[in-house]
Amino acid sequence: MIGYIFKRLGLAAIITVLAVTLLFLIIHMIPGDPITTMLGPRATPELRAALEERMGLDKPLPIQIVLFFTNMLRGDLGTDVFSGRAVTAIVFGQLPYTLALIFVSITWAAILGITLGCYSAVNRNSLGDRLAGILSVSVIAVPAFVVSLYSLLLFAVKLKWFPAIGAGEPGNLPDQFWHLVLPSLAIGLSWVGYIARLVRASMLEVLGEGHIRTARAFGLPKSWITYKYALRLAILPTVTVIGVGMGFLLSAAVFTEIVFSRPGLGKLVIDSITTRNYPVVMGSVLFSTLIFVASTTLADIINALLDPRTRKGS
Amino acid sequence: MTSDVGKMNETKSRSELSDIFYHLVRDPLGLVGLIIVGLIVFSAIFAPWIVPYDPIAMNIPDRMQGPSLSHLVGTDQLGRDTFSRVIMGGRVALQVAIPTIGGAITIGLILGMIAGYGPKWLDNVIVLLFDTVRSFPTVMFALAVVALVGPSLNTVILVIMVTSIPTYGRVVRTLTQSLRNSEFIEAERSLGASVFRIMRVHILPNVIGPIAVLAAMDIPTVIGLEAGLSFLGMGVKPPTPSWGSLLNDGYNLIRNTPWLIIAGGIPLILTTLGFTFLGEALRDVVDPKLRGRGK
Repeated sequence: MIGYIFKRLGLAAIITVLAVTLLFLIIHMIPGDPITTMLGPRATPELRAALEERMGLDKPLPIQIVLFFTNMLRGDLGTDVFSGRAVTAIVFGQLPYTLALIFVSITWAAILGITLGCYSAVNRNSLGDRLAGILSVSVIAVPAFVVSLYSLLLFAVKLKWFPAIGAGEPGNLPDQFWHLVLPSLAIGLSWVGYIARLVRASMLEVLGEGHIRTARAFGLPKSWITYKYALRLAILPTVTVIGVGMGFLLSAAVFTEIVFSRPGLGKLVIDSITTRNYPVVMGSVLFSTLIFVASTTLADIINALLDPRTRKGS
Repeated sequence: MTSDVGKMNETKSRSELSDIFYHLVRDPLGLVGLIIVGLIVFSAIFAPWIVPYDPIAMNIPDRMQGPSLSHLVGTDQLGRDTFSRVIMGGRVALQVAIPTIGGAITIGLILGMIAGYGPKWLDNVIVLLFDTVRSFPTVMFALAVVALVGPSLNTVILVIMVTSIPTYGRVVRTLTQSLRNSEFIEAERSLGASVFRIMRVHILPNVIGPIAVLAAMDIPTVIGLEAGLSFLGMGVKPPTPSWGSLLNDGYNLIRNTPWLIIAGGIPLILTTLGFTFLGEALRDVVDPKLRGRGK
């Protein structure tokens, strides 16, 4: 087991290094250059040279990459063009908002989705199962930012039940939670349907397996078998999918943060793009990539802990 | 002899196609999906003849109207007819979705088959490459590129295409690997068939079904991404109507008129519903074993 964890962490490290290098190379290959982006087309050569030197862009490419990595390991992702603050500090300031949003969204979606999926699998082909099925397919399809806009229009602007903008007063927990309701509804909705279908499918598969039949033959109570034995295995694909889905969640968070004017990583990126604050854009993208790699790795490790069979496969 | 086999394959695939269509139409979900997708494609192709007004013609005196007989879903802040803009927006959506998915499938097929059939080291390299590309959250990655080259539809297409390649590549790789050791391919190989022939005649027809299902499920994601990026002002440039830019106009006017948001969101929901239903039904027809996998 420990061997597997180390192997998986090693792979994650390789992927991170490759991803960061790739990101770095792409930025260099595509036509626009950060200096023009930041200073505008009318910048004087002296100004350009000064900024190039400050950002290390005057050195050869391989040295730039190495420099970038050593700085990254020291937690230095450059400085904000305007305020001169460290990018890491700025990103860390916004990160909790995005993580809280994603966490709340996926938590309510998982609870509801797993419940629905279990119900559907146990009461297979009943009216409830069919209704849950149609509902699931329908909500999977709707993009998060359309749900954001519709719920903003209906619940915040027309009915005025929930606040339309912001993340709530700092320190005032109930208020902050109140501000999370609509955004997390928007992000979580499609996941409810998705998780419900996934749990239903894997639950049906697990319920047909030998050890469940044996348990049934031993006369164990049905609910005990369902929740104690079957669910534990049936939940595995969901764990993986949430891990891999972190990218989708981050993407959905970008839109939702903009729609609800919530602080967070997404709003930070968009604001930095409009103000041409290039280092902050790069820093945020890098951070979201790191989060993504970390969450897929974590999902794999949790999977291996829950089900020893997956360890052999990879 | 080769031509005979080719002919047989052709008739077989033709009857298979009509078979798939027959099963699709019989499945209520598939039928609804097919109708919605058909309507969207039809309205996108014939958009210039369907729209009652020029979608970019301004008419300031008639601005921000609600629905009426002359403007079915009202007008925007510049007096442009919203219905015409929605219909034209469908064109943009498909203009992005088709090349994006097409490109991703082509490259994914090639890389996936190489990884699945080629030597182990090449397989490892390609899989690592897939995993690396997959580790970028698409929207964040797109925003980083847009930040440098400026908003454009081609940028959106390219970025979504590159980040979608691993999705197809991985499926093709797994399928190729499992086919590679099957007896009929081994028999072909021992008869001296070239790698190229094995790929074209035996592997490709067997992976194309699952790939079609994946593509149908992926089209809504791509269209949603385009609309999302256009909503953020990072996709199409005004005055070109896209469902996303319509939603952006509506968002800015949310306290004045709800119609822009309602009109911009409905086609997005319909498109995603249509393609998802179609994909679901197609999956059941193509391979019942695939049920409940993939997002």
